[in-house]
Amino acid sequence: MAKTAVAKILLALGASLMLAGAVAGAEAPGTDYGWPNLTDFLKQLIAKVGAPVKVYKLAMDRDGKVDLWIQDQAHPDLVDSWEYDHGAIEGPIPVKFDHYPSIAALDHHVIELTTIDFPRLPAMLATARTKLGQPDARVVFIELERGDSSGFISVTDTPIWTIALDSPRHDGRVEFDLQGRVLDVDKD
Amino acid sequence: MSTRTELHYAFALAALCALDVAAADAPVAPAHPLDAPAALKAAFAERIGHPVNVLSFGFGEHYAQALVQNAAAPDEFDEYEAVPGRPLEPGRPKKAGEVDCRKKIAFAALDLDAGARALAQARAAAAANGYKTPDNVTLGADVFCNDFGWRAILTSDANDDAMLQIVWAPDGTSPKAQELHDGGWRKVDVAKLLAGSAKVAPAAPKAEPKTVAGDGRKRDFRRGIDADLARLEAEVGAPLGFKHIGIDRTQLSVDVFQSANRKRVSTWLVGDDGAIKLWREDDTIPFDCNKPFAAGDFPLAQLPDLVADAPSRIPPMPQAQVKDVAVYRSGLCGRPHVYIKLEDERGYGNVEYDERGRLVSAQIQ
Repeated sequence: MAKTAVAKILLALGASLMLAGAVAGAEAPGTDYGWPNLTDFLKQLIAKVGAPVKVYKLAMDRDGKVDLWIQDQAHPDLVDSWEYDHGAIEGPIPVKFDHYPSIAALDHHVIELTTIDFPRLPAMLATARTKLGQPDARVVFIELERGDSSGFISVTDTPIWTIALDSPRHDGRVEFDLQGRVLDVDKD
Repeated sequence: MSTRTELHYAFALAALCALDVAAADAPVAPAHPLDAPAALKAAFAERIGHPVNVLSFGFGEHYAQALVQNAAAPDEFDEYEAVPGRPLEPGRPKKAGEVDCRKKIAFAALDLDAGARALAQARAAAAANGYKTPDNVTLGADVFCNDFGWRAILTSDANDDAMLQIVWAPDGTSPKAQELHDGGWRKVDVAKLLAGSAKVAPAAPKAEPKTVAGDGRKRDFRRGIDADLARLEAEVGAPLGFKHIGIDRTQLSVDVFQSANRKRVSTWLVGDDGAIKLWREDDTIPFDCNKPFAAGDFPLAQLPDLVADAPSRIPPMPQAQVKDVAVYRSGLCGRPHVYIKLEDERGYGNVEYDERGRLVSAQIQ
């Protein structure tokens, strides 16, 4: 893919990724999550697969490793995983399903990368801690996926960010929509 | 030694001293807790240091453990442990979500004398009836969050299946006993138990599984099973009435209705070295399809070809491998069909042939 095209896509992603990148590796007091450098990850990814990037699922673990499932645009019935571990990208790794979704279900399930507002994430994490009443809770995982039961349409048919946190006394998770609005709070 | 290194040592020593001071300040568990339950309770009370409720308390001579709830903050749970003669460690937080049952008593009502009496009674009952000596008793609720009290579980070396439970009220009164029997609980008279008249039942003799040694020839059952079915039929001594045949590369599993009792099913396994083993025998399941089929009712001779051909039936899975094969009656007790499961790096596929080897369906799962 031409460099200009990559630049356009990154520009389209906007300042969002800059902020996400800015918090990469940050260890701010009370927010002990080392954000992955999403700018670097997506830049490397787009250089390899081109645009558009259609996200089946994005998951960040406690250690800041990222697992991104995307629809293969050359073979839209297939989903590949791309992993990012502190600067190193690996993929495509074929995703194996117990029951493979149809192309229609996949087309419905995926989320355009450009619609994901990454800079909201630090604020969403802060909100999650507040909503759970756990200011020092640690990130267990942060995930984004459409809530349609992996390709099968359901009542929660929107992209949902899930931030799962834990502390010595409690586990909890808060769900947000793409605009960062709280959808659900679940504390044990 | 440099000044900086000396400083590091000094800091480390100071930290260790601080730990020692902390441990020295901690209450110490009595050396013989069962003989000094009041002292053990006092040590727990001092270590906890604030009003709590007790959800469970494990009590024996070697170890005691408490799960408590902060009386002022019902969402806070902590675990404390005591080892005889050792200072009690600070409590460890327990996640609220891991506490399934919240039946409790106030710490003030915790009666460790009663626990010690219950343990002594449990040990007497165990000795009188052939059970192993229990290590401890536990105050708490059962798995269904009922029946809060002191609880002892007795097991036996002579019978792995034997289990007897005695439960006392938190004050050590009203003992009740029940034993595991046929998958359920059966009441046992405590008076008889204490008198030694409720002996542990001897273990039922277990028949050695019937086995036939292999012939040493390595098999891949996906390439044919007819010879091994003939060997199995010779072993059974009657024509095989199949319920289910399962095939993978290294194992052939055959469920056959017993010729003497069609309400029993034997499961035979054939290993890839040809060894035949009777693995299990079960009753048939009511309303299941219990109509046997014979070797002539499905395409036995064609089976290797059907298996080899299956991957080509699903073009989007050109690299698929055969995972396993099964033969059983289709639908609602219809004719026996052949079901072949395929697998590649992205998922699974299923190919079905009918009783004459004709393709019924081939699709990605």
